[in-house]
Amino acid sequence: MKIVVIGGSGLIGTKVVAQLREKGHQVIAGSPSTGINTITGEGLAAAMKDTDIVIDLANSPSFEDNAVMEFFQTAGRNLLGAEISAGVKHHVALSIVGVDIMQNIGYMRAKMAQEDLIRQSGIPYTIIRSTQFFEFIGGIANQATQGNEVHLSDVKFQPIASDDVAAFVVKYALGAPLNNKIEIAGPDRFDMYQVADRYLQYMKDPRKVIANGKPEYFGGAVTHAALVPAGLADLGAVSFENWLTTQLQNA
Amino acid sequence: MKENSRDSKSGKKAAAPSDNVLLQTVEQYKREREILLALSSDLTKVRDKNDLILLFKKRIKGLFYISHTIVTLIDYKDATYTPFLLDNDGSPIRSHQRYQEMVHSRFPLNEPFIQSVLHAAAPISFLLEDIMNEPQSPPFLRVNYEKGVKEILMATLMKEEKAMGFLHVYTDKPGGFSTEFRSIINGIIPQISSAVSNIIKNEELLKEEEEKSFLLDFSSEIATVRTKEGLARAVQGALHKLNPSGGFVIRRINEDKKALSPYVHDLSKTHDKKILTALENSVFPINDGIQNRILNSAIPMLFNTEREIQRSPDSAYLQYWKQMGMENFAGIRLRNGETNLGILLLDLDDINVKLLKGICAQVSIAMANIMANEQITKTQEEQSFLLDFSKDITRVRTRLDLQKAIFTVLDKTMHTQLAMIRVIDDDGIHLSSFMYDRSLFPNTKGTFDDMVAIRITVEETYTAQVLASEEGLMFNVEEELKNGNAYATLWKTTGLKNMYALPLRVGDKNIGTIWMLANRLSPLLVKGICAQISIAIANIQANEQLDGYKKKLEVENDYLKEQIKTIYNFSEIIGSGEAMQKVYRLISLVADSNTSVLVTGETGTGKELIARAIHNASPRKEKLMVKVNCAALPASLIESELFGHERGAFTGAVDRRIGKFELANNSTLFLDEIGELPLDAQAKLLRVIQERELERIGGKQTIKLDVRLIAATNRNLEEEIKAGRFRADLYFRLNVFPIHLPPLRQRLEDIEPLTNFFIQKYARSTGRKIRSISPRVMHKLRSYTWPGNVRELEHLVERSILLSEDGKIEDIYIPENAAEDQQNPALLLNRSLDEVERSYIIETLKRCAGKISGAGSAAEVLKIPGNTLHSKMKKLGIYKSDYFS
Repeated sequence: MKIVVIGGSGLIGTKVVAQLREKGHQVIAGSPSTGINTITGEGLAAAMKDTDIVIDLANSPSFEDNAVMEFFQTAGRNLLGAEISAGVKHHVALSIVGVDIMQNIGYMRAKMAQEDLIRQSGIPYTIIRSTQFFEFIGGIANQATQGNEVHLSDVKFQPIASDDVAAFVVKYALGAPLNNKIEIAGPDRFDMYQVADRYLQYMKDPRKVIANGKPEYFGGAVTHAALVPAGLADLGAVSFENWLTTQLQNA
Repeated sequence: MKENSRDSKSGKKAAAPSDNVLLQTVEQYKREREILLALSSDLTKVRDKNDLILLFKKRIKGLFYISHTIVTLIDYKDATYTPFLLDNDGSPIRSHQRYQEMVHSRFPLNEPFIQSVLHAAAPISFLLEDIMNEPQSPPFLRVNYEKGVKEILMATLMKEEKAMGFLHVYTDKPGGFSTEFRSIINGIIPQISSAVSNIIKNEELLKEEEEKSFLLDFSSEIATVRTKEGLARAVQGALHKLNPSGGFVIRRINEDKKALSPYVHDLSKTHDKKILTALENSVFPINDGIQNRILNSAIPMLFNTEREIQRSPDSAYLQYWKQMGMENFAGIRLRNGETNLGILLLDLDDINVKLLKGICAQVSIAMANIMANEQITKTQEEQSFLLDFSKDITRVRTRLDLQKAIFTVLDKTMHTQLAMIRVIDDDGIHLSSFMYDRSLFPNTKGTFDDMVAIRITVEETYTAQVLASEEGLMFNVEEELKNGNAYATLWKTTGLKNMYALPLRVGDKNIGTIWMLANRLSPLLVKGICAQISIAIANIQANEQLDGYKKKLEVENDYLKEQIKTIYNFSEIIGSGEAMQKVYRLISLVADSNTSVLVTGETGTGKELIARAIHNASPRKEKLMVKVNCAALPASLIESELFGHERGAFTGAVDRRIGKFELANNSTLFLDEIGELPLDAQAKLLRVIQERELERIGGKQTIKLDVRLIAATNRNLEEEIKAGRFRADLYFRLNVFPIHLPPLRQRLEDIEPLTNFFIQKYARSTGRKIRSISPRVMHKLRSYTWPGNVRELEHLVERSILLSEDGKIEDIYIPENAAEDQQNPALLLNRSLDEVERSYIIETLKRCAGKISGAGSAAEVLKIPGNTLHSKMKKLGIYKSDYFS
């Protein structure tokens, strides 16, 4: 099958592309660097030719509220428009667990807009809502650092390994379109600050994690359960501890 | 897999060490260095593919034996590599049937052959025989082998520490790649890499340059475009460069925003008349599944005709395009600012976003300009049209002219039918039809006539809406039909879609409504035309009114001229005697009222003067008093004179004539010599006085009147009634307030002031100066009986002045008694008793039909015995012939 992976050079994208090629599919890794631009439309029509599946893993280059909304709407419209014209049979997109209940956050509104465009497009689709990736934890800790302290929320947190995310994306992309959303998450559930604490400890980082008790994420107030799946979810195989081990090995 | 490395090859040469060999080796290295240097310097000059090919062909092939070289490039997008540059002039594989396939193939990177190349630190060679049969090996290996190639040397081209492609060198001699050659290749690979990336950069630059110059050319082309045709030419020229055989169409969004229509196009791909007309004349609904997608997409879209046909099988144009052989087509929206103007559809198989966006930006601007231009031209046309219309309108004086002007304008130029113009009546409530086109509703004449005949009011639903609207209303015929508008059924018969109803205004004042049927009207035009029509109607109304006034003035003028000739030019009544004082009192009593006055008195006593005095003292004095001399007109004309007539009322009535009664409306009508009015006219007069309204002769319209009547006569009307010559009822109507003027002989005290007044008057007009009147003359004047009263005195004075000498009136020419005058009672006073007695007896005898004595006889009337009368007759000489004359 011919599969186009938009955002194919990103964290998840490279893994998805590699896994799909591994399975013998013709895969186009779409990104502005490979001449496929969903914002300007460059290369889009050509890439879509005879394409069966499109996997949209692209992320906005800016996280400012308006820019991110503009990005997901423009990219979504252009991409879906080109897919309709090319007769694409399955559109797979990666979204975020709790995106619908965190609409006070600009980024979540933009991701929701992206989901809505997909649902309204008429193209058979599968939306995969994922929890945060293990790879984010370092960054989350850095953002919350004040001096030698890391002030973090105690919201529920169930991060997942990017390898698992990629595997789920591949699985759902090659499966029949669900025309619905599914949720994926890591195998274990924590409080957010606990994960960061464990990570820093493991990395021998001297910073101290302090639970601030404020339920917030991405700068916006959220419910304690916003970031974790509410019902049934596909759980990744890689535990946080296992992942940490591989991180140290890689480092 | 067996790899033939450089080291294994060069092993043989190293096995024979000798000075000579060493020297040879040094020489070889020297040579190698020279070649390397030379090649490197050549490689730095490489700008395009051709340069590199030449380098391979001329320089490398000149030094070493190889069969051909190929450069392939890696595409990380799909992890493949594909031929980029082919030095295959002498290539043996060009004749291979799979050659073309190989040139266009993309070979996957994830197979052992190419992976081993990628992982090798230096150029690596393979014997084709050994590797071509490996299951994942690229097919070009076998293709080469089949054409006699034995060995391949592969080197990875690097760019920014990442593999960018490969250099393939082939030879048909086994072991054909010498150590020296491998060393040279290894040495120049970095230069070849940079040469290739330079070529790629250059090609990109060139392409960009080309695109830019293409867009620049197109832009300058577009800049000269003024018309649709020009745009078609420019777009056609540009697109021809992109796809020489392709057509295009630009569709423009219609004003209703519901559909698009072809604007400009190139359909040279087909000659099928049916298809052409179908495509050119169609209107395509905006939401047809393609057009809406294009209009909603910020980027150009590529469509597959067959797929779109399956998606929307009803779109006829897709079927036509398929018939025209269009497999794919591109669609881009044309947008000016934030407004979609239309779409550009192109016969293309792939999309160059930058180029198409550039083209569309230009086309959009051109289109917006043309549309603006067209709008301006249209507006100008409309304005000049309005100007012409305005000129036409200024010439309009009558309804007929206006109707002609309006019909011409509306029908011919605007494809509009005037249904109706209604004008608000003077009462400000009713609207009468002013102008309408009966021919507009040929099949419904009855209904339309009924509607025309109804005088609607300003309160009527539709009229009220129209009058209240600022700039008029548009009624959609279909919608009005649904809403149950009774008029709409009529409108529907014309087949026109909309009824435009506008208020006609002059200044802020509504003067009526205009109703026009059309499919579409330009608001500017409608507004302009309505303004003109409003003014024209106001002018016509003013004109008609003016005409009325003018006619009236003419009549008044004629009449005044007539009056100047006939009336006394007194400005006041002379006379202060007791008799006249009594008259004055009566005048002042009656003047204020509207009461009819009957002025009686002998001829020349100034009855008209009294009538005028009453009028001038009345509230009606601002208007002219109208005088009719009933004796002066023949009986046949008197009625027409009094009551007026319509055109054609009788033979000779060539024009409408306003009667004196109408003329005297709100004023006073003075009927002089009423006693002379024929009986027929009397009857009519009576009716007019009673009803206070009249109809013109031959007319049906009843005219309300407010006329004050003053009648005058020198006859004894009561006697006239007895004689059957005057209607008693009319007499009683007129004789409401009788004023009797005393004869001059009864106001001797006024003779002197009157004489002086006339002397003054005539002295002025004749230029003679009269200083004195002799007392004798004055005495004479006083002793005269004045049967002609004041008028006689006036004429006498005039005559005397003309006959006077030296400014002194010495004598006055009192007329001698004439026999025929003797019957005049006024003359009796100048006769002797016998004469009086004689004429009185004759008179009595005449009245008694000559009967002298007995019942009803003269003796009885005279109250004397019959014998006495007999003797008196004998004495006075009265004979039968005297009283039987």
